[in-house]
Amino acid sequence: MLRHTLRSITSNKARFLLTTLVVVLGVTFVVASFALADSLRDTFGQLSADVNEGIDVQIQAIDEFDVAGQTGNNLPVPASVLDDVRQLDGVNNAAGGIFFFSTFPIDGQGRSPGGQDLSTAVNFSGVQSLDKLVVLAGEAPVGPDQFALSPAAFEEFDFEIGNRYAIESTATGRYEMELVGEIRFGLEDDASLGGILVTFDNETAQLVSGYEDSYQLIGVEGEPGVDPEQLVADIQAILPDGIEAITGQQAEEDFSESFEVFIGPFQTVLLVFAFIVLFVSTFIINNTFNIILGQRVRELGMLRALGATGRQVRGSVVGEALIVGIAATALGIGLGLLGALGLKAILEAFVGDFPSAGVPLRLRTIIWAVGLGVGFTVLASLLPAWKASRIPPIAALREEISIGSRSSRARTIFGVVLAIVGIAAAVGGLTGSGGVQATLSLLGFGAAVIFLAVAILAPLFAGPVVSFLAAPLPKLFGTPGAIARENARRSPRRTAATAIALTIGLALVTLVTVVAASLKQSVNDTLESAVAGDFVIFADGGNGIPPALADELRTLDELDAVVRERFETVRFNGEITDLEGSTMELIEEVVRIDVVEGSTAAGDPARRVAISTEYAEEAQLGVGDFVPIEFAEGGMADLEVVAIYADDTWYGDRFLDIAVLDEFGSNRADGDFLLSLAEGVTVEVARPAIEAALGDSPLAGLRTREEAIGEFQGFIDIILTMATIFLGFALLIAIIGIVNTLTLSVIERTREIGLLRAVGMTRRQSRKMIRWEAVAIALFGAVLGIILGMIFGFAIVEAVPDDFIGTLVVPWVRIVFFLVAAVLLGMVAAFLPARRASKMNVLEAIAHE
Amino acid sequence: MTTTMTNLAARAAGASKIYGSGDTEVRALDDVTVAFERGRFSAIMGPSGSGKSTLMHCLAGLDDLTSGSVYIGDTELGSLSENDLTLLRRTSVGFVFQAFNLIPTLTARENMVLPMTLAGTKPDEAWVDQIVTTVNLADRMDHRPSELSGGQQQRVAVARALASQPDIIFADEPTGNLDSRSGAEILNFMRNAVDDLGQTIVMVTHDPVAAAYSDRVVVLADGKIVDEILEPTADTVFDKLKALGD
Repeated sequence: MLRHTLRSITSNKARFLLTTLVVVLGVTFVVASFALADSLRDTFGQLSADVNEGIDVQIQAIDEFDVAGQTGNNLPVPASVLDDVRQLDGVNNAAGGIFFFSTFPIDGQGRSPGGQDLSTAVNFSGVQSLDKLVVLAGEAPVGPDQFALSPAAFEEFDFEIGNRYAIESTATGRYEMELVGEIRFGLEDDASLGGILVTFDNETAQLVSGYEDSYQLIGVEGEPGVDPEQLVADIQAILPDGIEAITGQQAEEDFSESFEVFIGPFQTVLLVFAFIVLFVSTFIINNTFNIILGQRVRELGMLRALGATGRQVRGSVVGEALIVGIAATALGIGLGLLGALGLKAILEAFVGDFPSAGVPLRLRTIIWAVGLGVGFTVLASLLPAWKASRIPPIAALREEISIGSRSSRARTIFGVVLAIVGIAAAVGGLTGSGGVQATLSLLGFGAAVIFLAVAILAPLFAGPVVSFLAAPLPKLFGTPGAIARENARRSPRRTAATAIALTIGLALVTLVTVVAASLKQSVNDTLESAVAGDFVIFADGGNGIPPALADELRTLDELDAVVRERFETVRFNGEITDLEGSTMELIEEVVRIDVVEGSTAAGDPARRVAISTEYAEEAQLGVGDFVPIEFAEGGMADLEVVAIYADDTWYGDRFLDIAVLDEFGSNRADGDFLLSLAEGVTVEVARPAIEAALGDSPLAGLRTREEAIGEFQGFIDIILTMATIFLGFALLIAIIGIVNTLTLSVIERTREIGLLRAVGMTRRQSRKMIRWEAVAIALFGAVLGIILGMIFGFAIVEAVPDDFIGTLVVPWVRIVFFLVAAVLLGMVAAFLPARRASKMNVLEAIAHE
Repeated sequence: MTTTMTNLAARAAGASKIYGSGDTEVRALDDVTVAFERGRFSAIMGPSGSGKSTLMHCLAGLDDLTSGSVYIGDTELGSLSENDLTLLRRTSVGFVFQAFNLIPTLTARENMVLPMTLAGTKPDEAWVDQIVTTVNLADRMDHRPSELSGGQQQRVAVARALASQPDIIFADEPTGNLDSRSGAEILNFMRNAVDDLGQTIVMVTHDPVAAAYSDRVVVLADGKIVDEILEPTADTVFDKLKALGD
């Protein structure tokens, strides 16, 4: 039987190539996802190892508000701790460390590493074994007037040792210092800290980064032979409250792990797409096996007649699937690695080089690839294999026999049950109180089951729907059109199974499009209705805007109000939460807010908060009441509720005065500024004045309100486009599915096509016939997919809280575009099968068995 | 000479068809020259492998010759492109095959007028109705082939061949798959088409009884024409064939 299996594969190379291709694509995605994520992990693991090399114990502040490990606050460790630790027995050396992101030097031509480039302030501690800083040229900076740069700055920008340059810090504003040296991170040449380093001496680094008389962490080098665990215990004993000591190894792992926050989701997103691609592939494979077995009924009957058991026939079919799965997986692993390299190159183009070379192929990746690639293929073949094993020996003798399938009644019941399960899961996900993870998992499961249900039920209505969709064909394209229509509906099960891949692909594309369009509209509505300011300034440097810039802007006559905004993680009224602070007394100038009681300008700026009517009710608070607030660094205060405002504003449920954050908060840079113009001043007049006041700061990006809204929408568009591109792979597979089915149909209908050609169908007409059949199938899949996608999209828009997505938008133009695209895809898919049909030798075709 | 030319529906001149080469060379047709007149019912007979089907296929433009030439009316087929051949088949040639004559997705009527709808021309309704009545299928015309008996399917096939009023109809073992009663029906019907409707039919068969319905039998053996019987009866044809076998 194995020989039979192998022969069956080799004698149908083209068909197996196509089937293999769909699995290859899926496996490629899986492998690329893992390999790229692993490459990122390696990069950051290496970085982490480099940074923590030589450090036996690390001392850091405990941030009890950092629940998700995401605030990145890096609370200060007092400099006095460093002196104490140095005195300790068993400590060889210790150094304070500052790594303050977003400190930008501005070169001789006014350029600066902006945007997403890393430009980090570090302190030259003088302890080389711990800070790993090496002076390459000039000298180390000393005092408040000197700094040094890493080689990347000299390579990419115009800097010269001995000259004076401006430096912009997101925390503390602008400085001008002398560039005194070139300093590299890494004792070896190949250390992996990317971006640009701006080096100062200890005190200057503290000043620039806003860590007054403190460090972000302290690295300790033990005496030779001292046990790190013991050292940790000894150090911990002398540390003040809120400061902890951990081993260097632990620090390395923590640091490495902190990058999982974005690597993990990145990998998950890619894997989700991989799963979608494989899921779609399963339908294609299943359909292909069904058709092929349908064509081989006689041959299989003959095998049975010759004594093969049903089990052997089944084994032969599953064996075919197994071989296809293994071949495709092997190829997919290779292509996946290539794909990961490509994606890595794209990422590097956007965010700078990764120091790690290559993309690693881990055992875990291989296990997943084989499990999914081989698993899905074999899974898809099980039902056809079972059907094949039930073919009776008499099938060898009969003129016409179709392979068995469950009664349509059982099928309907099964499909309906699945649909109910899927809808229940999706509704459960949308309305449930579980976290984002649980919601998405349930939604994903629900969607997959609904797709399965649709695939099972689709044959029931494929006939009439295709008839309807293809109704214009006979009018438009005469007899070839009429026959195309008949062919598309003659086997509803096959048409449905072929179209379902396109249905899934387009359903997802439509879903994403509907949600994105609604999100865009909601963002637009929110900004339009909530923001009254004429300009906004965003933190283009990535890590905030220096608050000092606001003072500069306030000197301008063109401006009426300059409102600073910034988030901080705090414990407010007993609950750890992100709160936004703003310049409350000016708030009504830049934000549309409906204060129903009190005034945002009342009370002590450094002790005031405003809350929404809803929160007021929920927390039983009124104007004049006091609410406790606690900060990560230990600050505590009671804030007075000075205003209550109607719901649905820019700030959500509550916001406080930024003066409170200035006094107690850990963030030193502002998030954004909102500006409003003075009476009678136009945007055109104000713009140059504001730009002049901002100077050439790489940190502050000025935009009009409209530009800001456009930028948000552009961002959503980019995400939408990327999702569409990834889902495009599902569509690609759908095309392959149509090609596959049509090719097999053409082979099946060889005699019919021969007859048509004999009685006068031209080659052109035969191509037209196949082409429009493909279009009819594609259109059926597309219409079904778009309807499903819209339903899913509506459900999600409904389920998401209104202050995130409040408006449902149906992107009709895009949906029409999808339909047109489906028609074109059908035509593309028909190309090869149509060629095959038109090239048939009429005589041989007529004589075909 | 000109008058006789136009009186010919199809002819072959020095037609040879050779498959393979060297030791494996097979001469399916060996320098065959034959003509079929208009308004007559001709039969081509011969044992298996005699080349009778090849001759028909070449005459009908379904296959090409190795050397020599074939004509439908005055049109030499060798000079025609694939597309022109298709258009010629559509307008000037009718076909009846042994089996699988009808497109399963089309009704009997749609099958019958298929060559014309493919050409985008309107069928002559009066003519179509007349044929439908003659083949006695009026009440079955809206059925699909799967709902018709084998005999009925062949009658639709013959009706289709007649519907476009072609210059010539080729029938390849049209009764080969039918029981004798249904076969007789088809043969009578073809006979009538020639006698009453003035059609031209060339039929390939190996059945002497079928051949007896024709006006003239051309007998092939080993790719050559070896005999010709005018006004054949089943017995005369049988005897000739038997003689060939000896």
